[in-house]
Amino acid sequence: MTQAVTARAIPELLTWPIEGITRVPMHVFSDPELYAWEQDLIFRGPTWSFLCLEVEIPEPGEFITTYVGDSPIIVVRRKDGLISALVNRCVHKGSIICHQPKGKRTRTHNFVCPYHNWIYDFDGNLTSIAFEKGIQQKGGMTADFDKTGHKLTRLNVETINGLVFGTFSDETPALRDYLGPVMVEHIERTLHGKPKILGRYSQMMHNNWKLYIENSRDNYHPSLLHAFFSTFKLNRLSAEGGTRQDDRSWHHITFTKRYTDKGDEAYDSGMIRAQKEDYGLKDPSLIDQWMEFADQITNSIQSIFPGFVLQQVMNSLGTRQIITHGPEKCELVWTLIGLEEDTEEQTYVRLKQSNLVGPAGLVSMEDGAIGGFVQKGIKGDLDKRAILEMGGQGVGGMPTRATETSVRGFWKVYRELMDV
Amino acid sequence: MNSAVVPLSRKTEVSATVRDAIARLQMQYVHAIDNDEIERWPQFFTEKCVYQIIPRVEYDQGRLIGVWFCDNRGMLEDRVSALREVNIYEPHVYRHIVGPTEVVEHSDGAYRTQTSYMVVRTMSDGAMSVFSAGRYVDEVMVEGDAARFRKRIVVTDSARYDTLVVIPL
Repeated sequence: MTQAVTARAIPELLTWPIEGITRVPMHVFSDPELYAWEQDLIFRGPTWSFLCLEVEIPEPGEFITTYVGDSPIIVVRRKDGLISALVNRCVHKGSIICHQPKGKRTRTHNFVCPYHNWIYDFDGNLTSIAFEKGIQQKGGMTADFDKTGHKLTRLNVETINGLVFGTFSDETPALRDYLGPVMVEHIERTLHGKPKILGRYSQMMHNNWKLYIENSRDNYHPSLLHAFFSTFKLNRLSAEGGTRQDDRSWHHITFTKRYTDKGDEAYDSGMIRAQKEDYGLKDPSLIDQWMEFADQITNSIQSIFPGFVLQQVMNSLGTRQIITHGPEKCELVWTLIGLEEDTEEQTYVRLKQSNLVGPAGLVSMEDGAIGGFVQKGIKGDLDKRAILEMGGQGVGGMPTRATETSVRGFWKVYRELMDV
Repeated sequence: MNSAVVPLSRKTEVSATVRDAIARLQMQYVHAIDNDEIERWPQFFTEKCVYQIIPRVEYDQGRLIGVWFCDNRGMLEDRVSALREVNIYEPHVYRHIVGPTEVVEHSDGAYRTQTSYMVVRTMSDGAMSVFSAGRYVDEVMVEGDAARFRKRIVVTDSARYDTLVVIPL
């Protein structure tokens, strides 16, 4: 326990409603002490957090900096080709060691803290202290100071299809076991080639991080909140869709097959050209797409506990990573992805469809505001509870999108990890 | 570093008519957005055009995708109808402060220019903040005394966008 040092014990902060996961106490979205416990028990607990894409650090010595919850992290490619993830905090005074968003340390293969030049290797070992022996036999560290007793905190790292994940806890199951076969299969299916980054930006949201994660697992809201598809007649009621989960209901996939009612035309892999007369758009080329996936799924949102989302919105592929910023703010980092195998025409389709996602996304922009609406709404009523009864009271996959089963799944895991 | 940055000694000669046309375009563009005449916004572009909003760090390393990309006027018009009729957001307005335009080059039938901007966003409850700062990297077509954008890349200094970007910058 490191973040919750000044927080009261959880039983003093939170009693879960007797109704169980169909009710959520509103103050979990604003309480700073619960937020501190979440840092320890969720982000530094037995969970995997997305760190970066492998393609960002292909060469030894290349690094990026990111966050797991509130904790600053360095992710670096070692000489042996493996990836290290270290807490970006000097053991001396606590300064950030690496203040660049990315870079390369090839010559020396180390990180030097800018404050007093304490030096670490890529495994987090403290290898050198400036003036350790003093200057002209004066000063210096005490003779019995043992550098080997002071290391950067190191995360365990695993990768899947070019995505790099890290965990603080040795209790966390192996990544593929943590995800379960349904989630693994879907990641392998979405990232079906060698990923490359087409763009990156972030969106600051004025809400607790859990409100966004709930939203990413809530397939009840999209056709209601996001009016773009229905207004421009892109919604087809007969489209098939559903919700999938892993066996433990930790993770979630929602999917739709928009063209399931369009006959054979959609079943070839060629470009599906949107017809002007069918839609309300002045320029329907926005939604020209190719049938990228043999499963005919045109939209899927995969949410991995706690803070990672893999998206397919038509041909727009991308990752979303939640970064916490205190109990009432969070940041969503979007990385738009193409595949090395893409043709120029396919890359251009991904570029045009990037209009559907992100903070300016015609379909997704409301998600940046709706959490803030909730955060404002609950301010005076933190003793009230949210209601989650769409699609029953339980968890598990369902052949429908009119359900909150995966939102309940989130709270099931939350209660397990917070022991509440 | 990108190609729009040129040595100090370089000077592109532009006639007074052209300079006025470009200045008028820049002025009318921000007034249309800031004064809630957003329906005029697509008219400042040629039929086939590019309008993009992209973070500076992405633009500088030649990445393709930012937060907004239109490649014809129809897409701009769809954006206008979406923000008027479809998208859900808290009402807010922008105020652009735009610096003088530097004409960098005249080539391929267009004037290549760059212009610094800053946008203050005011929410319906009165909360104000600096929403965006950066530069416009433009290609402007001038016919007679009328100018239009063939290309407008809004290069935002920050890669972080607050809440959402529904109104064009």
